[in-house]
Amino acid sequence: MDATLPRQTRLRALRTDYFSTRLDTLVTLGFGLLAAWVLWSLFDWGVLHAVWSAENREACGHGAEGACWAVIDARWRLILFGLYPFEEQWRSALACAVIVLTGGASCAPWFWTARRLAALWVAGFVTFYVLMRGGVFGLTEVSEQNWGGLSLTIFIFASVTLLGMPLAIVFALLRRSQLPWIARTMGVIIDAIRSLPLLSIMFTFAIVLPFVLPGWMIGDKLHRVIAGYALFFACYQAEIIRGGIQSLPGGQEEAAQALGLGYWHRIGHIILPQAFRNALPATINQLVITFKETSLVVIIGFFEILASGNAAYGNSEWNFAHVEVYAFVGLIYFVFVFALSRYGAYLERRMAVAER
Amino acid sequence: MKFLLTAAAALGLMAGAASAQSRLETVQERGKLLCSGHNGSYLGFAEVDDQGNWEGLDIDLCRGLAASLFGKAEGHLDIVPISWAQRWPALQSGDIDVIIKLSGWSQSRDTELNLAFSNPYFVAGFHVMTNADLGVESVAGLDGGSICVSAGTTTERFLAAYVEKLGIDVEIIVFESGDEVRTAYFNGRCDGLTLLAPPLAAARATSENPEAHVILPDVIALEPEGIIVPEGDPKWLDVMNWMLSSLWFAELNGITSENVDEIKANPPSAQIGKFLGVTPGYGSRLGLSDDWAYNLITEVGNYAEIYDRNIGVPYALPRAKNNLYTNGGLFYPLMVD
Amino acid sequence: MISLLRQKSFRDTASQVGFIGVLILLVVTFALTAKTNLDAQGMTSGFGFLERATGWGVSFSLIPFDTNDTYARVILVGLLNSLFLGAISLTLATVIGIGIGIMRVSGNKMAELIGTVYVEIFRNLPLLLQAFFWYAVLTTLPRPRDALEFGGVAFLNGRGAYLPGLNVTGFSVFLAAIALAVTVGLWLWLRSARRFARMAPHIKKAWSRGLWLGWAALAVALLWAGRIPETPLLSIPTLKGLNFRGGIRVSPELLTCIIAISVYGGAYIGEIVRAGFNAVGKGQSEAGHALGLSTWQTFTRIRLPLAIRAVMPMLINQYVWLFKSTTIGIAVGFVDFFMVISTSINQSGQTLELIAILMGGFLVINYSMAWVLNRVNDAIKLKGTQLRT
Repeated sequence: MDATLPRQTRLRALRTDYFSTRLDTLVTLGFGLLAAWVLWSLFDWGVLHAVWSAENREACGHGAEGACWAVIDARWRLILFGLYPFEEQWRSALACAVIVLTGGASCAPWFWTARRLAALWVAGFVTFYVLMRGGVFGLTEVSEQNWGGLSLTIFIFASVTLLGMPLAIVFALLRRSQLPWIARTMGVIIDAIRSLPLLSIMFTFAIVLPFVLPGWMIGDKLHRVIAGYALFFACYQAEIIRGGIQSLPGGQEEAAQALGLGYWHRIGHIILPQAFRNALPATINQLVITFKETSLVVIIGFFEILASGNAAYGNSEWNFAHVEVYAFVGLIYFVFVFALSRYGAYLERRMAVAER
Repeated sequence: MKFLLTAAAALGLMAGAASAQSRLETVQERGKLLCSGHNGSYLGFAEVDDQGNWEGLDIDLCRGLAASLFGKAEGHLDIVPISWAQRWPALQSGDIDVIIKLSGWSQSRDTELNLAFSNPYFVAGFHVMTNADLGVESVAGLDGGSICVSAGTTTERFLAAYVEKLGIDVEIIVFESGDEVRTAYFNGRCDGLTLLAPPLAAARATSENPEAHVILPDVIALEPEGIIVPEGDPKWLDVMNWMLSSLWFAELNGITSENVDEIKANPPSAQIGKFLGVTPGYGSRLGLSDDWAYNLITEVGNYAEIYDRNIGVPYALPRAKNNLYTNGGLFYPLMVD
Repeated sequence: MISLLRQKSFRDTASQVGFIGVLILLVVTFALTAKTNLDAQGMTSGFGFLERATGWGVSFSLIPFDTNDTYARVILVGLLNSLFLGAISLTLATVIGIGIGIMRVSGNKMAELIGTVYVEIFRNLPLLLQAFFWYAVLTTLPRPRDALEFGGVAFLNGRGAYLPGLNVTGFSVFLAAIALAVTVGLWLWLRSARRFARMAPHIKKAWSRGLWLGWAALAVALLWAGRIPETPLLSIPTLKGLNFRGGIRVSPELLTCIIAISVYGGAYIGEIVRAGFNAVGKGQSEAGHALGLSTWQTFTRIRLPLAIRAVMPMLINQYVWLFKSTTIGIAVGFVDFFMVISTSINQSGQTLELIAILMGGFLVINYSMAWVLNRVNDAIKLKGTQLRT
């Protein structure tokens, strides 16, 4: 008997996926060739003709055909740790590891209650800060002016998130307030801040704030920039949370009201947990953007990883090697951001399954 | 509304109260000096080494100042990295206590920006470096080309004025940090690079092929670089002037970081004894400890040592005008009496 | 007193007054402190400095500018540069985004793979890093004498891209561009406004054709009127001395910003467009096929318009967000609005006033952009249940 359905072999799948029509074949071949050429050029430049060790520095330079990874070999500690004291850099590395572990741990479902998650992150952050700052447990003190590289990037990211998240909840609730004036004013503030560039907010907080604040409130420049960034983050995140709240069926809140639950009880136990769940993909996306945009502090003059990368090729010995340095710094960013966004995608899938 | 205004005024007053104090006392109370760094390296004046440490002539002056104030720089000095464009707001807002960032004395800065300058600690001209294979002999030959310069500096203005005077058409491209300017030039983004002569020569000397670049003879402008503090704080400005003077005094009298202990134990003259704090007076008049000059020399050495360590030895540049008057230079110590 | 506190209406009023009162208190405190601080440092305030000459030049300007011009003018130069950069890169980002979005839903696995890789790479790296990277690449291109040549009329080298151009004043180009924007606006209005809904299609077509022809005629007239005397109308770049002369030169700084923002924005817009295509149900295109439309017709007439409309609100947010990223110009030395403000602060010392101008400028631009785009969205958005699956 003739089979009415063709058997799904791997070859056939390949054919339907790549060569189903003449146009398809053309597209596949064209893009395939392009991809092969790009990959080969990268491989040729980055591996075959590359110079790997700082001892062979003379082989690099403007005329060289391959990548000069020697610059990473010579300056990787500067890129990763910036201006942090050389002998103490193990602390900076350890501190980064602590935050990465905290991030990893918060992916475990056991931690998925507001209290546990908050406790975990506060603990992780405090450990990070003590390790970096020192001054206790026999660690020498390292002031924040000397922080740099990856740990500064992580510090800014973590503190912005930790400060901004509670602030975002407050903003979202204020904007949803029943009282028209509070809701309207908050709306104006949120929309105004959202339409300003982050860079101009950081710049304002770094440079202008000291003029308008009383002396005892000024604080360190780094802290001010983080405060500004946290405010910006909070305004974006507040809208995400508000979106999450709005997507809840109205009956939820009415039911809670009918049961006689007070405002805080309703918000804390019924509305927010669900809103957060709905807003999770958008939140992760916002975190990804926040991590990437920490790089803007370069322009304010901090030595986070991009700036220390600039400094790494900034001396006369290595000034031709910027592409290699940017590739290295880019790889570090990519690892963090990609991991975060994959995790977001995983959560989205998981939630989609749960909703079925 | 009235209540609001009163409350606001009260909050504001708490701010105003602190500003009457001299920056000297503020720094001494804090126990730490906040000195300007760079946002990237400016060869010879501020560089970051493989281990992430700051070094350079400007940085040494910061260290010297911290040692003068606190006895030693270690633990009492924070180098705050800032871009050129953020110098003034950072000083005015108190993010940094003093600007030692190769900043020229210009009228608009002195008046409109309300800054006070110390005596110059470095004097040099702005020059333009170009590629030798362009065959250009003066800046006029760069007509139609492009010149790279640092953003927010006097260089930007001087160059604009000079180009205008020559009546040539030059594209001036500005960059935020010293690294970017140099990289842009060496990558061929611009035909010319304008910098103060020493860092320019340093950039040439350390390039892959120094012979490929020539420094054009035109002096675009001569600039005296001073230490900058806010206007209206004479006590703080005095400290700057006397610190610089002490560096030259030590050089003139052959006091170095090597022999300063010997000389202090057995001062050759009463004046030098007073200078090093053997007899009181040199420090207390400034509101410093009497042996502050001794601490300064112990920390960074005299002016010659600072120069040689950061510019003379690494880049093999002669001191030229930045020498003592006894050697044909422009510098002299003030009277120690 | 206590009974008063129990009253809901009183509590509500009190908390509103309190909230706004605290905000006002903060603002007043800031203003008073600023005044005290400025007075204490003897700094001048006010906007008088806008009339002073700057004494420094800019490397890229759409309007004539030299060192004798005022701060007000340099700020205008920066603002126009930012708008110019924004307009170009947002358009390119949309083109790239639609391309990537189509690749990702095309059904061809190879195209999907490449689209995915593109999105994952460019979306996951900071824009600033990408800008630094592109700038490094563009400035290490060959020197002018060994420029990359494209058919003898366009060149690419370390000093930028050189394209053939018209010898006309920038102002007439600017007017022509304004006319284009007005025409597009009118055309959209014509297509969507209810007043024209009942018009017969061929009359509608005639109207819109007339509109475009009118614009073309106006543009030609404007450019002709604005031509620079004693030069040929068409100018082609040629190597003279150190550099190319003639034609349009796009500096590496501008080119970097354009490439960086459009490549980065393209990745984001690509994702949005893909979401749009996924929102258009299979049933819609199947219905198209059933009606005898070709794949191409189904795509251009049904899938693409529906997809774009479905994601228009997301696109608007994305545009506002992307426009804000033009501030990366300062990192590579492109004279945008932010960089002009930053340099002016350093040269004039009028920090507070200049920051106020910066904030005000961005608020006005972004609010008006959002307003216009929301109007467009209202005009073209899907009514009823056109997205049925």
